[in-house]
Amino acid sequence: MSARLPPVDGEWIDRTRTLSFQFEGRAFSGYAGDVPSSALWASGVHVLGRSFKYHRPRGLLSLANHDVNALMQSGQRFNLRADVEALEEGMALAAVNTVGGVEADRLRIFDRLSRFLPVGFYYKAFHRPKALAAYWERVFRKVTGLGRIDFETPHIRTPKRYDFADVLVVGAGPSGLRAALAAAEAGAKVVLVDENARIGGSLGYQRGASDAGWKELQALEARLRAMPNVSIRSSTLAAGWYADHWVPLVDPVRMTKLRAGAVVVAQGAFEQPAVFRNNDLPGVMLASAAQRLIYRYAVKPMHTAVVLTANADGYRAALDLSANGVSVACVVDLRAKGESDELADRVKHHGIRVLPGHCVWEAEGQADRLSGVVVCPLNDQGQPDTSRPVKIAADGLLMSVGWAPAAALLYQSGCRMKYDDLTHQFVPVELAPGMFAAGRVNGVHDLQGRLADGARAGALAARHCGFSVPEPAAVARGPASVSHPYPIVDHPGGKNFVDFDEDLQVKDFLNAAQEGFDNIELMKRYSTVGMGPSQGKHSNMSAIRILARIVGKSPGEVGSTTARPFFHPVPMSHLAGRGFHPHRETPMHSRHVGLGAAWMQAGVWLRPEYYAAPGKRKAELVREEVRAVRSGVGLIDVGTLGKLEVYGPDAAEFLERIYTGKFSTLKVGMTRYAAMLDESAVVIDDGVVARLSDQHFYFTTTTTGSTNIYRELQRWNAQWGLKVGLVNTTGSFAAVNLAGPKSREVLAGLTSLDLSNEAFPYLALREGDVAGVPARLMRVGFVGEIGYEIHVPAEYGAHLWDTLMAAGEAFGIRPFGVEAQRVLRLEKGHIIIGQDTDGLTAPDEVGLEWAVKMEKPFFVGKRSVEIVRRRGPRHKLVGFEVDAAGARTAPKECHLVIRNGAIVGRVTSIVDSETLGRVVGLAFVAPDMTAEGTPLLIRVDGGAMVQARVVKTPFYDPDSARQKAPT
Amino acid sequence: MTAPMTPVRSSPVAQALVARKAQWAPYRGMPCAVSVSAEDARHSAAVGVCDVSGLERCGLKGSGAAAWLEAQGVRVPAGANEWVALPGGGIVARLARTEFLIEDGPSGTEVRRVRPLIRAGIDGVTPVLRQDCALVLTGERVPELLVQTCNVDFSGVPADGPGLTLTQMVGVSVTVIRRELNGEPALRLWCDFTSGPYLWETLVGIAEELGGGAVGVAAAWPELHAATGT
Repeated sequence: MSARLPPVDGEWIDRTRTLSFQFEGRAFSGYAGDVPSSALWASGVHVLGRSFKYHRPRGLLSLANHDVNALMQSGQRFNLRADVEALEEGMALAAVNTVGGVEADRLRIFDRLSRFLPVGFYYKAFHRPKALAAYWERVFRKVTGLGRIDFETPHIRTPKRYDFADVLVVGAGPSGLRAALAAAEAGAKVVLVDENARIGGSLGYQRGASDAGWKELQALEARLRAMPNVSIRSSTLAAGWYADHWVPLVDPVRMTKLRAGAVVVAQGAFEQPAVFRNNDLPGVMLASAAQRLIYRYAVKPMHTAVVLTANADGYRAALDLSANGVSVACVVDLRAKGESDELADRVKHHGIRVLPGHCVWEAEGQADRLSGVVVCPLNDQGQPDTSRPVKIAADGLLMSVGWAPAAALLYQSGCRMKYDDLTHQFVPVELAPGMFAAGRVNGVHDLQGRLADGARAGALAARHCGFSVPEPAAVARGPASVSHPYPIVDHPGGKNFVDFDEDLQVKDFLNAAQEGFDNIELMKRYSTVGMGPSQGKHSNMSAIRILARIVGKSPGEVGSTTARPFFHPVPMSHLAGRGFHPHRETPMHSRHVGLGAAWMQAGVWLRPEYYAAPGKRKAELVREEVRAVRSGVGLIDVGTLGKLEVYGPDAAEFLERIYTGKFSTLKVGMTRYAAMLDESAVVIDDGVVARLSDQHFYFTTTTTGSTNIYRELQRWNAQWGLKVGLVNTTGSFAAVNLAGPKSREVLAGLTSLDLSNEAFPYLALREGDVAGVPARLMRVGFVGEIGYEIHVPAEYGAHLWDTLMAAGEAFGIRPFGVEAQRVLRLEKGHIIIGQDTDGLTAPDEVGLEWAVKMEKPFFVGKRSVEIVRRRGPRHKLVGFEVDAAGARTAPKECHLVIRNGAIVGRVTSIVDSETLGRVVGLAFVAPDMTAEGTPLLIRVDGGAMVQARVVKTPFYDPDSARQKAPT
Repeated sequence: MTAPMTPVRSSPVAQALVARKAQWAPYRGMPCAVSVSAEDARHSAAVGVCDVSGLERCGLKGSGAAAWLEAQGVRVPAGANEWVALPGGGIVARLARTEFLIEDGPSGTEVRRVRPLIRAGIDGVTPVLRQDCALVLTGERVPELLVQTCNVDFSGVPADGPGLTLTQMVGVSVTVIRRELNGEPALRLWCDFTSGPYLWETLVGIAEELGGGAVGVAAAWPELHAATGT
């Protein structure tokens, strides 16, 4: 039988569009504009899901995006919120937390076992006995978790978006609408957001059998929609607050990061459930949920209702029920005197009995649905007098006992809140600059007050943004006691739920406090209150009240937990969004693509690791590339190196302070190795410094270091105030290293420079044209052969590469990648900062003593070098070769060096060198193990030990005759 | 040495345009994409992303940079983060109090005159080699592209106003100005040469979602098209 009401003014459903769907395998229909919960309730389905822990049947609670026991799966969409997500044609819905379906859920046995599942059960299970931890993990993984992930779900690249407003108004209820209007009328650009599918908030559904609020909403909406400077966004959640008023707005499609000049928080308040035995039976719901059912979806919530209340809102709800065909058996008012104004008279005129000074002792159920309510009078101490119970038959029970402010954004912005004894809620007392609160969240509850408070906050927000608005008048908080100070009834039978997400009962809080978790933050973590999908919106306030009673404090003294962004769950797809992962490509990138480069990531750069060829494996190709450099000529793109310039009369002095070496003595036209330390004498970078003129140096850094090093140099110079100008030209220069015994011949055909050893010796720098391009050339020896590092403006990089490759063709030129370079440099015993050093390595530990000029008056890290030298090295980097017998199981980088069963070092680099015919590498070892010939034991994968011994470096061409290449 | 050769300048996004089978014409030693597809006009009206890296530019910084430029007869923007127009469609941009970028327009000659004069040894002046990836964004949906890629609100920045913004777009550091091209509002972007390909691909990808795409200079900047062939 359908519970659908005749058409209601303002209903959200479109009765001309019927939608068919399934729930738990049964066919149903609803209307466009319905949510699954409303369509199912209209169809007589009242068990919408099962609770998380005890698998108790659950129905509607809030119909306001917090019904976490009505999460559903529809195909690949899981944890769909059935109380707010739009119903769609063809949906095949199922409750997420069942085994065997929502009606026959086999795990409902947990409800009978609840005494064995006390608060802290998970923690205790893992705590002792330890041997059962793995067992419990398996069990918990099996029975917990919500929803089923389909790994075939397509990856949706949700676009990100930024937006901007003078005033952001969060919440489009009466306060928010008036705030938006006031700010817009002042001239501000206003964005008004509301998480509901339509704006209006309580104006649309808390009607009290009157259409005044509804008409007010229509009028406000019409005015706002006519204003060009107002953007109204429904179905949009303001999920958090970040510094400078950045607010993530989450809508069904994407997340928008909005930056506002000011923010008005008018999110209202969450209606709070009363706590009594069986307060979770389907049919027990918040009063506002029933009103939403009626006025949004035109669904009759129940046939016969009891309204439990402690404020005027409950009376309005009773009137709304009565006006829409529900028989209201009585209003149970926790207050001794009940409501005293004309609202009470109207209720009585509707023939509704009022029981002031009464409470609901327990709810009774039949066939998973509320069947009756047991009501007791409250004695002078406010305790239920169970000697005089009254049983009332009802299939619906509305709870209207108070409100908790939706103040998460205020908390996140640093607002100071205090517990207000008038309204019995936390209210803001000190707002962050640019933050404004209005309406229920501000402790203002009556409709006219909320409208006025919204106008006040909107005007203040506009003023904050510089718009000319008169100072608005303050609005008084109230009315008094809109929330009951303790709407909680303990019951020996338990099942009086405080937290519906986690199935926490009153006794769980008592037990947690007894076990020592008696402050709100500890209690939250131990009991998990507020840690479920609704994030405590319906439980935190009750938890605070219970704890306050336990420890004998006021709720204000107990305080509230921290509200971190996001305060409401946000789909992972929105968080993932469209990813921006910038990378940099050298000017020769396309050439590498054409040559079949296999890519590797080097910091933000893409670099060719090696050049692939059909039918050949990486190791073979790398060996070929190495062979080409050793015997002919190779070309590598080194444009990723950091490239910096320093100009000015103090340029040499600047470099002397930055690097450990001497640069005032560096001749124009020459280069020098340079090592950089931090202030604790850790080697952080190295490169080559070239002197172009007396006051002009060009120097390189490691690939990954350039940005940080440049920033660091700027910082130092801001401190020193030397007369220098620094330029980061990393991206402005393309660079290659043309290396190998035939490199000189290749280059000779492309430049007018004299390349003879006399005119252009090892470590020299020359400027001249290469391939018609102005270039800087450096004779370097990183790979151990004669080589020229050639730097040209980036726009000529591709031309330079093409020209060199063409010129080298006759010489068998071959491009080589990072892997071959790694082999070549290791054969020469050259270290790589970051691979052969770590975050603690001092220069003496990696053989850089020669590069540290202690006679200089100052360089960064000098004092620490002195200290480190007094202490002595922790370990030393040595060259080693693996004994021939062990070569088949060669160690890898990071394998450990073992002595007497203890770790004394690790391999930092290793290579099976075809050139040398042996496996060689670098390793950190204990300082007393550096002598040539010292045996090393290296533990490899699987635990086997491989013999090696310390040898001198360089392994290849120890006299460096080849790179000096006299002819 | 072998016979002298004429070096070819390459745009940082040349390969991306080659892949799109762009039509080319030389512009001051660099192949310039004149058109990318038959849809250029439509794309340009929606969101056009156009490569103009071939325009010539130079840079300098230092405490004496502003005075030195003025001494060379170059008009200097009054404040940091501002720009002024040069004859021939170029600009002088003040990137910081003491740092400048000069870019010639399609028919400009100022960079060619000034660049050789900027050298080491001038008191208070540090030469800066400019090898930028330079783009033009055109079309009515550019604001939508901006809000998907950048957290700066450009809506209040007047077209052809003096404002210049240094920010990040899709994670890449960029310099941005608004200026009119062909009588229509447009956006000029500069970024590091090596970040250019990523910026280009990302912007073009989003532009395509918005009904636009990569376009050649014929659609985006006819004056530059007219100057090709040089």
